[in-house]
Amino acid sequence: MGTSGAGKSTLMSLLAGLDQPTTGSITLLDSTISAMDDEQRAKIRGESIGFVFQNFLLIPSLTALQNVTLPMVLRGNEDEESNNLKAKALLKEVGLAGRETHLPTQLSGGEQQRVALARAFVTQPKILFADEPTGNLDQKTAQHIIELLFAMNKEQGTTLVLVTHDAELAKRCQRTLIINDGQCQESA
Amino acid sequence: MKSNKMIINWSLREIWFGQLWPVMVALTLIIACVVALSTLALRVEKVMTEQGRTLLAADLVFRSSNPIPTSLIEKAEQAGLTVSSQSRFQTMAFSDVNMQLVTVKSVQTNYPLRGDLNLNNQNNEISHQVNPGELWISDRLLSLLDTKVGEVLAIGDAELSITGIIKDEPELAYNPFNSIPNLFIHENDLEKTGAVQVGSRVRYRLFINGDLTTLANLQNDYELQAGESWVDQNKESRAARLMDKAKQYLSLTILMVILMAAVTLILTCLHYARNRSETVSMLKSMGASRKWLRLWLTTQVLIMFAIAFVVGSASGLLLEFLLRLPLTDILPKELPSVGVQPFVFAIGVALCIGLPALLIPLNRLLDAPAINVIQQQQTTRYSKTSWWLLLLPITALIVFYGSNKLVWMVLIGLLVLFTLLAGLSYGLLTLLSRFKWKAAFSLALSRISRSPKNSMMQLAALSGSLMLVALIWLIKSDLLGDWQQTLSPDAPNVFAINISPEQQQGYLQQVDTLKLPHSDTFAIIRGRWTAINGVNNTEHPSYNEENIRILRREINFTWAKELPVYNEVVAGEWKGEKNVSIAQGVAEELGVVIGDKLTFEVNSQSFTATVNSIRAVEWQSLKPNFVFIFSEDVVENLPATWMLSFRAEESQTHLVNQLARLYPTVTLLDLRTMANKIQGLLRQISWSLTGLAALGVVGGVLLIFTLLRLSLSERKREITLYRTLGASKKRISHTLWAEYGLLAISAGLVAAIAAEIILYSLMTWGFELPTQLHPTMWLVLPLLAVLIVFVSLSSVIKQLLKPLR
Repeated sequence: MGTSGAGKSTLMSLLAGLDQPTTGSITLLDSTISAMDDEQRAKIRGESIGFVFQNFLLIPSLTALQNVTLPMVLRGNEDEESNNLKAKALLKEVGLAGRETHLPTQLSGGEQQRVALARAFVTQPKILFADEPTGNLDQKTAQHIIELLFAMNKEQGTTLVLVTHDAELAKRCQRTLIINDGQCQESA
Repeated sequence: MKSNKMIINWSLREIWFGQLWPVMVALTLIIACVVALSTLALRVEKVMTEQGRTLLAADLVFRSSNPIPTSLIEKAEQAGLTVSSQSRFQTMAFSDVNMQLVTVKSVQTNYPLRGDLNLNNQNNEISHQVNPGELWISDRLLSLLDTKVGEVLAIGDAELSITGIIKDEPELAYNPFNSIPNLFIHENDLEKTGAVQVGSRVRYRLFINGDLTTLANLQNDYELQAGESWVDQNKESRAARLMDKAKQYLSLTILMVILMAAVTLILTCLHYARNRSETVSMLKSMGASRKWLRLWLTTQVLIMFAIAFVVGSASGLLLEFLLRLPLTDILPKELPSVGVQPFVFAIGVALCIGLPALLIPLNRLLDAPAINVIQQQQTTRYSKTSWWLLLLPITALIVFYGSNKLVWMVLIGLLVLFTLLAGLSYGLLTLLSRFKWKAAFSLALSRISRSPKNSMMQLAALSGSLMLVALIWLIKSDLLGDWQQTLSPDAPNVFAINISPEQQQGYLQQVDTLKLPHSDTFAIIRGRWTAINGVNNTEHPSYNEENIRILRREINFTWAKELPVYNEVVAGEWKGEKNVSIAQGVAEELGVVIGDKLTFEVNSQSFTATVNSIRAVEWQSLKPNFVFIFSEDVVENLPATWMLSFRAEESQTHLVNQLARLYPTVTLLDLRTMANKIQGLLRQISWSLTGLAALGVVGGVLLIFTLLRLSLSERKREITLYRTLGASKKRISHTLWAEYGLLAISAGLVAAIAAEIILYSLMTWGFELPTQLHPTMWLVLPLLAVLIVFVSLSSVIKQLLKPLR
């Protein structure tokens, strides 16, 4: 948790191996990712990490189903049938059964984020990073997305790293760190 | 394998739904244009070559002032070439009542090897060959000799009865002084005429047909002796120059269209790369390796090339067909086939332009950092490794256009001009923004000056395309204008020479009475040019050059009180005594300048005159023209005859014949048939060029269209922001119109300046034609730009301003 500009996103980028620290080292899932090059870090991300972004970041030219199966394809999981089966199940879980062939532009913001949730869980990641996942949604939709996120997280046993400035949301997490001006401290 | 299938699927969707389709449209356009233009160019060139050969009467002609060496004929026949020989000479022809100087062409039965020889006999039957014992004469000769078909003519010592009239013949004589009436006899009857003797002036020709390599080998193996020369379609003076320019124009048009398409391709591709960097970052965050991303992008590029090639080739052929429709009367029924060359060329061009245009931005796309999904980085370091791809088009240019002066002039001119002019107009627009304007204008101006790089790019692309469009059209008009001037509808077509001084006034009056439009009369003094500033011409470095004969041959001199109005004085001044005015081309070729003292010889009498002026002379104009015009005092005592030229229509043949009868000693050179033939040829070529130019212009306008729509769609986010901030629809649309209007007007002006400068250089150094300013263009280009902007943007702006959701 932290205010805007406190350094939440920077920390998350470092943790997820999206960025490199100038000094110090980062160990993620027993690997010193700060010593790895771009490609090695990408491999780790593909195998064990999932993301949910504030602005959904779906591929506009792919259908909902194709967006969900994409991480599997990137992993080299080429069994189309089983990928689709898995993706359909997840889409059903987020309440989008029957919308598989829709393009992102045909979906509302909340629906797009639900597709993004399905995409994040499809690879059963060990860690899921969510960057202000409800920042672009209205309150009601946001609530629904959060419920889904926590439910799926529980069900899949994923470690969820959530970045937010919403104290209510932070309370639902097992551990809260507060960042202020680049300094990190455990919340009381 | 399956992931490949997925990537292919995705790529297709990306092309269809994503921003890749403008890239593909540009690529398709390049291929379509190149296929269409090069197919047409190839066809037209083949037709032109065919026509050039028709004029020559063969694929290759060997000319000599001595009988054709038997060894050459044997060699040609052994190589499987078809040959036909001809000897021609001038002699007197006598009918019962009259006599006339004629050119006798003695030919073999298989003459001509190319082109049409149409002979019309007594019974009005057409034949195409000259057989032994036959005598064919021109219509005019028939009336000059006051005889008719079937009667006997004496040609030298031979007596032959006239078989019929020559309707059409190949081998046009371009030199009016050679155009003495023709007649054809068969080679077998040549000896009977007794005209060919030791010392008589006979010219020999060997016409040769066959495939190009064998012809070239024959030419290479034979060592030319004095007085011998080869003539092929490429060398034949005027027709060849004409076609040369037409060909240059074709390649220039193709190049310009390619340039325009390339600009669009680059811009659309940059646009795509900008829009996709977020996607790439996202894919990277999800663990996509560079290898996978490369595969993904490569598949897209391959699919685009494949689709563009198929669709482009098909539409290119269709385009060529449409372009050819108005030319059906002109082009022969059976078109020469073009083979695969245009397609190979098109794919080559597409690869040369497409690979760097696509791969450089796409390769940079690979460098989009994964962190961008969370935090947009201020600066990203992109690798520049793929810049070597630029070598591809550059190498191709050097290989294919290396020696083409025109192309390099256009390219370098473009580069220099655009940097200069885009900077200039941008400066001007920034300057304008310093003053107070209405809100819409000042907003527009500030937007232009706020993003200099973007505005400059847009300005350069817009004015560049406009300029190319203007160039394609103007060069065409200038070329055609020049050609048409060559043979304007009122150009003189009959020359009267050998008018004696006593006849001069009477003849002039007679031509006036017959109401034939005519030139002034000119004195003709035959003589030689012997020295420059006291140095004998035989010592001139150019004395022995094949193409410069003026130092060796007899020349027609004249004198004048005033220089002809159609000769523009380009240096010096026509006044004073003991002076001579020289034609510009000759002066430049031989390094003669104002003040040089030139020595001449007429009837072994030597005299000197000082060059006081240099005149621009258009030799093609068929008006009486002279290399040297003296002041009267220099030549007044020398023996002279007079000449004049006049215009006679086809229906006025009887007037021409009346003149001939009234003044039997005056020689009439009737160029009407020849002029008609050249005019026909010109008409055909100009049609092809107009078609090509139109295609180039349409292509250019289309590209500008795409470009503008693209640039506006990039503004979507900004416009949404303005709307959110409460700007009224009217305010936004006014600002947009003001911005693009200003851009269009300045681009139009920049294009006009650039086109004028490039056109001047092209015409002067490339086509070697006179130039003039094109004031209408200065008005038309900005207007055209505004019009295109209006047409292409109104729907986009309307769409952008739809109510916000």
